[in-house]
Amino acid sequence: MFAFLVRRLIQAMVVMFVISLISFSIQDNLGDPLREMVGVSVSEAERELLRDELGLNDPFLEQYGRFLSRAIRGDLGDSYFFKRPALEVIMEKFSATMELVLGATLIIVTLSAPIGVYCAINPRSWLSKTLMGLSIVGISVPVFLTAIMLIYVFAIHLGWLPSYGRGDTVMVGFWETGMLTRDGLEHLILPSIALSSIMLPLFIRLIRAEMMECLEQEYIRFAYAKGLDQRRIWFLHALKNTLLPVITVGGVQIGTMIAYTILTETVFQWPGMGFLFLEAVNRTDTPLIIAYMIVVGLIFVITNTVVDLVYGLVNPTVKLAGRGA
Amino acid sequence: MALLEVRNLEVRFPQRSGELVALRDVSFSVDRGMRMGIVGESGAGKSVAAFSILNLVSRPGYIAHGQILFDGEDIVQMSPAQLQRIRGNRITMIFQDPMMTLNPVLTIGTQMIECLQAHGKVNDREARRIAVEKLRQVKIPSPEARIDQYPHELSGGMRQRVVIAIALLTDPDLIIADEPTTALDVTIQAEIMALLLELCKQEGVALILITHDLGVVSQVTEDTIVMYAGRIIEEAPTRELIDHPRHPYTEGLINALPERARQGQRLNQIAGSMPSLHVIPDGCAFHPRCEHTHERCRHEIPGFTGTTHRRVACHWRADQEGQEA
Amino acid sequence: MKRMWRGFFDSDLVYHFKRDKVAMVSFSILLTLVLISFSAPLTAPFDPYDPLQIDIMDSDIPPTWSDNGDERFLVGTDAQGRDMLSAMMYGTRISIVIGLFAVALQLVIGITLGLLAGYVGGRVDAFLMRVADIQLSFSTLMVAIVVLAIFQASLGADLYSEYAIFMLIMVIGIAEWPQYARTVRASVLAEKEKEYVDAVRVIGFGPLRIMFRHILPNTLSPILVISTVQVANAIMNEAALSFLGLGMPVNRPSLGSLINSGFEYMLSGSWWITFFPAMVLILLILVINLLGDWLRDVLNPKLYKG
Repeated sequence: MFAFLVRRLIQAMVVMFVISLISFSIQDNLGDPLREMVGVSVSEAERELLRDELGLNDPFLEQYGRFLSRAIRGDLGDSYFFKRPALEVIMEKFSATMELVLGATLIIVTLSAPIGVYCAINPRSWLSKTLMGLSIVGISVPVFLTAIMLIYVFAIHLGWLPSYGRGDTVMVGFWETGMLTRDGLEHLILPSIALSSIMLPLFIRLIRAEMMECLEQEYIRFAYAKGLDQRRIWFLHALKNTLLPVITVGGVQIGTMIAYTILTETVFQWPGMGFLFLEAVNRTDTPLIIAYMIVVGLIFVITNTVVDLVYGLVNPTVKLAGRGA
Repeated sequence: MALLEVRNLEVRFPQRSGELVALRDVSFSVDRGMRMGIVGESGAGKSVAAFSILNLVSRPGYIAHGQILFDGEDIVQMSPAQLQRIRGNRITMIFQDPMMTLNPVLTIGTQMIECLQAHGKVNDREARRIAVEKLRQVKIPSPEARIDQYPHELSGGMRQRVVIAIALLTDPDLIIADEPTTALDVTIQAEIMALLLELCKQEGVALILITHDLGVVSQVTEDTIVMYAGRIIEEAPTRELIDHPRHPYTEGLINALPERARQGQRLNQIAGSMPSLHVIPDGCAFHPRCEHTHERCRHEIPGFTGTTHRRVACHWRADQEGQEA
Repeated sequence: MKRMWRGFFDSDLVYHFKRDKVAMVSFSILLTLVLISFSAPLTAPFDPYDPLQIDIMDSDIPPTWSDNGDERFLVGTDAQGRDMLSAMMYGTRISIVIGLFAVALQLVIGITLGLLAGYVGGRVDAFLMRVADIQLSFSTLMVAIVVLAIFQASLGADLYSEYAIFMLIMVIGIAEWPQYARTVRASVLAEKEKEYVDAVRVIGFGPLRIMFRHILPNTLSPILVISTVQVANAIMNEAALSFLGLGMPVNRPSLGSLINSGFEYMLSGSWWITFFPAMVLILLILVINLLGDWLRDVLNPKLYKG
């Protein structure tokens, strides 16, 4: 177990290192920090002086070293637009994005398993066929289109739910939450549905396919030969085997989900990190862009490690050093 | 009354091009405590026969016709609830490959205890005790430790011992073993078969052993059935079958054994190969390969001459013995 | 060559195709879309890129069948006065072209690396698979957004839009090679054990020849199945990127850009600017997915589960 964690930690650090390197090298070429700071009416000679003072003419590695040491301490520079530490700006929006992801994940987790399992057990029922048909339509509709259609139908046409923003929020310690107010929850519904719209059908199809394959296995036939209860065969013998590959795929999809938050937040004008990132891109606010990349990179790495860990714990055939014979 | 009586069993498999008849007019009976072997080449229908006893033919196959009387009750007509009471309880099965038979994500203990608890009210402690006892009976060292292990942590031979232990858990009346040693190392095969023989004798359990290996059959069974192209063609006490085969096919099988070949000569082979179920010849299915064929064999399916456990379906043999086939 | 075609038409594939109505309908729809969009230069009623043909007085006209409709513009015009039908035809063509070329790129890179990893094995294999794993855990869309954002910021909007189509193809192409590489590698590893490879090696064929002429043809069916899904995904990703403003620009729009430009007008009533491109996009992706599903069921049921 320990060896596994150490190995993953090292891998994580390598990945973060690469990300930071890429981020930093971009910084040099994107926009001119000087221009942001002093405007156009400064002479060339004074600019050079300023460059030297800020250490912008130092060799690449030196600059990178400085960048890294500052980054580790949480200082990723100040946003050009907000004139505040970039990391601070991003983290303010962190809770918004996370709650959106939470909403979508909740939908996916509660719906995909029952529907997937049902469709696997009764593949020929008309309900199954309908659900699978809907699924394939679901994965063919891009997230932003679902978002647009949801807004059009539920917000504009029917007027049941709000069409943009986050609604009323409450501060719980350092975390700004929209889930404690009715208004906040109402604002959360459509974006969560939109965000889950591609991944839900994906998981349904995956679970159905895995489970159907599982039910063909010899050990299931053997379970029947032992005279076990039908439900036990489905929900213990088959399901446990089914969920293993689902966990793996789920881990990879988390990355995709974060990308989709950018799309969803844009359509709904949801004040999260993704929306912020897109604005930063449009404004060439380099420190903010880099801060986003690093924060998201960190999220990727952490969630992937956690998923691997969970998989290793759940799957008995995987040897996390120190476990089993 | 015989323990198990199969009457005129017919099993079909629907295919794209029509229906395939895998078992035709198969009838046999097994007495209490009797050890019977079913031999034949791959595709002869032996496994299908074995699985149909518990109505476990893999879909889309189904029992089209016939009766399977177990202690007087017809299995073919049983409801799922009734079937569940017999499977794994009074009739148990041993499959071919223990790696595929045991569920990889559940411990040995779980897979044994659930069997006991499905067929009787046994609490966890008691069930575990019985399971450990059975593991000891099949000669698995340190059963208390092994019981909490997963299938992949055991060797092939040990896994099959576990499967045998599971087959004995509920003190069944009949064990059906489908090629139990084919997937194991040659060196282990003899051990496992000897174990199976000993336990069956000890507990007075009836055994139906499916195999293509005549050597194994001679070691373990008292009575043997020979199948060809979905039909039974001969049955006799094992020793007698091997020493004095009556059907030309059986004779061919025995002669093909390496032990029967003369030094320096080619192995004796039966010319041709068993027909695929798609194109079974008219009359006696063996007639194209038989050296005693005459006109009758080409058109008329031979009936049995002889008694319940000593019979043969062959026109030529019937003529030889002055009987009507 | 002719024998190959004969063999194809007599094969199981065509047999199953003719019996599956969904597959046949999907394929015909796809064919229609491709034909219509690729013949756009010849058949579109207007050229939406020609500023001389656009009249600002023609803007925001709803489809022909509504009240203020104009019979010249079947499905209405956008905010600049461009004919939506023509814009959609050209736009669909761009979307399909990007999808196909991006997948072609993925294919070439992925197959080459997959063959290499599988056949050579050892350190090379381990290294490539590590890279593939890491790359797979970063979603394509995320990487594409970041990379394109950076390019757009450093090149400036105008220069960027000139090269947008190439950038899109490159990014989507490079981001997804691991899918192909892994599949091909798995096939290679399985085929490597088979006897015909030994036979051919004994004859003295070099590794390259063995890889491309002998092993590759046997890995074709998984590749075919994956490709359909990859094309659908590529089209979807491109649409998302264009929607975000990081893809095709407004004056050479793909379906995604059209949807983007129509979005702000949706609330003010000009729903058709977004609606029709959206429907065409969904239809396009849907039929490709349906065909992919059918292909997977026919060629190898155990293959691609998502």
